[in-house]
Amino acid sequence: MFDLDLRSRKPIYEQLIEKTKEMIIHDVLKPDEQLPSVRLLAKQLTINPNTIQKAYRELEREGYIYSIPGKGSFVANKKEAIYDEKVKQLEENILKLCQEAFYIGLKKEQIFSIVERAERAIRGGEEIDSN
Amino acid sequence: MIQINHVSKRFGELEAIKDVTFSVPKGSIYGLLGSNGAGKTTLMKMIAGIYKQNKGTITIDGEPIFENIKQKERIIFLPDALYFFPHTTIRQMADFYRHIYPKWNEERFYKMQELFPINMNQKIHRMSKGMQRQVAFWLTFSAMPDVLILDEPLDGLDAVMRQKVKNILFQDVAEREMTVVISSHNLFEVEDLCDRIGILHHGSLIIEKEIDNLKTNIHKVQVAFHGQAPSSFFQQMDVIYKEYRGSVLLCIVRGKEEEIIAHIQKHDPILFDLLPLTLEEIFIYEMGGKGYAIENILI
Repeated sequence: MFDLDLRSRKPIYEQLIEKTKEMIIHDVLKPDEQLPSVRLLAKQLTINPNTIQKAYRELEREGYIYSIPGKGSFVANKKEAIYDEKVKQLEENILKLCQEAFYIGLKKEQIFSIVERAERAIRGGEEIDSN
Repeated sequence: MIQINHVSKRFGELEAIKDVTFSVPKGSIYGLLGSNGAGKTTLMKMIAGIYKQNKGTITIDGEPIFENIKQKERIIFLPDALYFFPHTTIRQMADFYRHIYPKWNEERFYKMQELFPINMNQKIHRMSKGMQRQVAFWLTFSAMPDVLILDEPLDGLDAVMRQKVKNILFQDVAEREMTVVISSHNLFEVEDLCDRIGILHHGSLIIEKEIDNLKTNIHKVQVAFHGQAPSSFFQQMDVIYKEYRGSVLLCIVRGKEEEIIAHIQKHDPILFDLLPLTLEEIFIYEMGGKGYAIENILI
């Protein structure tokens, strides 16, 4: 289910947390669905089980998953936390794009007009023209 | 749990290990790093109860290990230079191990034939170096040790075999909470193998840390401003190292990722990148601060 990049500079532990969060946010993992056990993941991915254990503990601390002793870890039903996380991600992306736009010399008004076009497109379902 | 407490060892004039203290919790994989002659093998031989330390104590689950047969039955030390009885086959060697190690698992021994494609009636001394190492792992994993001490274990194994060996190792750690100590001079190798590492240099332990903690709160920042970096930029930031490459400033910063990003963006950079460090880079900077040059310690 996971695919990690062992050559990446990012620690495996962080990659595990991010991948799991992503799958929860995008509904690939549904609420109350059971996560693979530490043993199984260690075997499937050839990763140190202590690293997986640590990632699961952190996910539990952040409220993305919960664990039942003797049964395993499950996806938490936390719509709000997930919504907040989505908003945070979007905000970061918009911020980055706006900074880039300013950097190459776009004016505030030009960016606002893009925002308005996006709004029109969503509300009226009209085509976005190049104007 | 392995506990090493203020341990020293000397060979005549040579002080091989100087006042080393650390512990390896049960079910953990500990990486011991250091250049040739740093004392890794000496330390491992003491943990395995082969050498006796001159000072300090070494205990496994609370009991001293030296001359302690009950503890030694649970430990396997896989040395750098392997030893097999002359002219024995794998099967004969396995029979010997079965009598030494009470937890020997015959069923597992047979099952592992699928992983190690070698005929068990072949004589070991006729095999290649890499195959002999496979035999050593085959016998080791079949003996089901609680503590496994590996000296440069993956040398001589091909990529496929390395992956197989790592996989069994991780399964044994996950399922039976086997405790592992691994020595190496290769940072990349231990990086995805171990959860804790210690670096030995001239017989002293100079760094001892958990790998994930080591990597989470340290970042490489590349940033450029219109003109010089504002002086307020360096304040409120824990900068370990900085260097100008043309107009781009490169620094190594300690702290939380979000806080560093927020701080840097306040100063309107025209270019800004934040990267995690590789383990190798961390050591270069950490040890630079302690007056060691990495080239002398790791290869």
